[in-house]
Amino acid sequence: MASLDVNPAAISLQADLRRRRFTKMGLIWLAVLLFIGWCVSGTIIADTDWSRIGGRSGVLASIGRYLTLDIGLFPELIIPTLETFMMACVGTVLGCFFSLPVAWLGAANVTPSKTILYPIGRFLMVLSRSVHEIVWALIFVSAVGLGALPGILAIAMRSVGFISKITAEAIENIDAKPVEAIRAVGGNQFQVMYYGILPQIYPVVLATVIFEWDINIRRSAVMGLVGAGGLGLLFFRQMNSFNYGGVSMVILAILLLIVLGEVISHYLRKAVI
Amino acid sequence: MNVLEVSDLKVRYSAKGPEILKGIDFEVKDDDFLAIIGPSGAGKSTLIRAVNRLVEPTGGRITLLGEDVRNLNPRQLRGLRRNVGMIFQEFNLINRMSVMDNVLSGRLGYTGNLRSLFRAFPQSDVNQALYYLDRVGLSDHINKRADELSGGQRQRVGIARALMQRPKLLLLDEPTSALDPKISREVMHLIRDIALELKVPALCNIHDVQLAKEFCNRIIGMQDGIKKFDGATETLRDADLEEIYAMEVL
Amino acid sequence: MTEQAITAKLPSNGPTWSRYRYPESLYRFGTLLVVVLFLGYSLHFLNVDIAKLIGALGRLVGVVSDRYYPPDLEYVLDRGYLAAILDTLQMSFLGSFAGVCLAVPLAWFSAGNVTPHRVMFPVGRLGVISCRAIHETIWTILFVSVLGFGMLAGVSALTMFCIGFAGKLFADEIEAIDMGPVEAMQSAGANPLQVFLFAVVPQVRVAFTGIAIYTWDVAFRAATVVGFFGGGGMGWYLKRNVQQLENLRVAAIILSIIAMVLIAEFLSGYLRSAVNRAK
Repeated sequence: MASLDVNPAAISLQADLRRRRFTKMGLIWLAVLLFIGWCVSGTIIADTDWSRIGGRSGVLASIGRYLTLDIGLFPELIIPTLETFMMACVGTVLGCFFSLPVAWLGAANVTPSKTILYPIGRFLMVLSRSVHEIVWALIFVSAVGLGALPGILAIAMRSVGFISKITAEAIENIDAKPVEAIRAVGGNQFQVMYYGILPQIYPVVLATVIFEWDINIRRSAVMGLVGAGGLGLLFFRQMNSFNYGGVSMVILAILLLIVLGEVISHYLRKAVI
Repeated sequence: MNVLEVSDLKVRYSAKGPEILKGIDFEVKDDDFLAIIGPSGAGKSTLIRAVNRLVEPTGGRITLLGEDVRNLNPRQLRGLRRNVGMIFQEFNLINRMSVMDNVLSGRLGYTGNLRSLFRAFPQSDVNQALYYLDRVGLSDHINKRADELSGGQRQRVGIARALMQRPKLLLLDEPTSALDPKISREVMHLIRDIALELKVPALCNIHDVQLAKEFCNRIIGMQDGIKKFDGATETLRDADLEEIYAMEVL
Repeated sequence: MTEQAITAKLPSNGPTWSRYRYPESLYRFGTLLVVVLFLGYSLHFLNVDIAKLIGALGRLVGVVSDRYYPPDLEYVLDRGYLAAILDTLQMSFLGSFAGVCLAVPLAWFSAGNVTPHRVMFPVGRLGVISCRAIHETIWTILFVSVLGFGMLAGVSALTMFCIGFAGKLFADEIEAIDMGPVEAMQSAGANPLQVFLFAVVPQVRVAFTGIAIYTWDVAFRAATVVGFFGGGGMGWYLKRNVQQLENLRVAAIILSIIAMVLIAEFLSGYLRSAVNRAK
């Protein structure tokens, strides 16, 4: 191999650059670690009652309590599981209905008023997502009372943000050519939307709705914790009566339901696309 | 009688933007198959779209089928647009709908909202669509989705859709520039034959001078928003062409 | 051409067309019918009062203006509550930091294209899926029952949540990489860890940073409610006031949650676009 001519000054410059980069990275990581340490001391160290946990054996013992299954609970599981599933379905459909007008207002190219209604649409999208489903459920429990209805409404409200945001983005990204064609044949506003826009966005919207439905099964399973029925309520009761085997059974049911939802949504999404 | 009269037409897209059309005058007679030629960026597409106000004119006067286009309210404008068939460069089909639904969508101007919602077009429209689909040679593809067809076939769908309007004027916006030369010729043939058969005048904006000379009886040459030539096809000289295309960098 | 002329030109035995075809249309309408019936039956099964459902949003407005207005803003500006906001922020940082750190190896294992070993693949998948499948509130309750009330339980629950959330996105990102460098490293005799560090990480570094920031944003949203189930932070105040029916304070707390989440979302959006620009 021929010897390579390398300028020694270039080598030292390279080394210098590398050293500087290492120092920079080191400082960044030091800052991150200090920050994390501050967080740990502020939350975990100051706030934990270590004696109550009872050391490693205590923790292992508390975990061990969950490693049994209360098979006798099985018959009581069926109806709440169904309820949870149905709440997710109805909530998602209701969420779609709420999303339509919000997406219409919040899509820059079709909004009826850019100055007033567009910001309102955008705000509704953000509001829906920034309030946690548990908080939505609390609000609706106090508005319409206990039962499945507040759960459905909470799921619907929580879904609006994501569905309408994706829908609005899809509307903003449509191909303008079919829209032009429908306008050119003398179509009115409704026909332009129904023939020009809808066929272009519905695969995206449908895939989003399926995705959201999948997540909503998860959400639906905890609605019962604040009084909105389904598996969450059963979980709460088992927990309060210290029936740890029963808690494990409920979690197993939730897992099964979610795996089922994931399988269904996988095939549905394939069918859509 | 003139189907379309345009005088001193001016268009700019934004108040501060450049003027795309700088005062164009021309007219389309009952039996015209009129070509607009010119380099890209001359304003040909804008001119075509200003005629039925897909692009809003900023000055001048357009008289289409005896109506002053610029003074129509939205409802009257829709009523006028449904009399004007339009064929587009990129076909502008609804890709996810079937060929039949695309052709039927040409009737939307005559169809109420409820019927539109369920796509329940009257049987007479369906018969008409079957007839035109046969006429453009797509009888075997009626139930296919529009995006399954080849370019030439898709433009045929576009033609059938425009014919569904029973147009009194055809606006053609570069109908062949997305197609290869052989298919282009076929498509132009088809459009001209149908226009003659139905006695519909056409205003055709076209990039390919050869096609314009072959199929059109009159030619308008445009350059940078200004009309440079207007006359029968036979009177177009090479010198005129050179002037029209003078600014195009080849 | 008139309608009659067209109809006359169509041969009587010529082509006909109908939108409805057997059996595709039958299947389609059948599916639609089944879905609608299922939804209707669900409403019946869940004892949902349709009139209440329709009037719900109107009621919501009424209830909010009657009971929750005006929000007791002084309460949320109190020192104790401001400290709780800081706690919530710290919990979300810790939870997302630990979660993201744990999610990276799990995502590596569970990415079908670069998984180090066939046995690791199901381990990674199962780990991510079970973290995802269980809602953060249930994680909180479980951890509270093991570790007692307090932020340790909250942070642990958030960690599990973040593993599930970031793990899936990470794995998707890894599965979409260009396999060229991976094959080059493999053919040079690199072991799986080396392949991951030198062929995968450089490709996904920017995307991972963005996902990590997004994970923090989502974790903060979750952190606002873990306190409701004993995990510490703002949620604990929410629970106390809900139970004591201090509605005006509840309204103020919810408003503060919304405000904080908006700030977090804005911050995360800004940081993510900065990361994207820097690449």
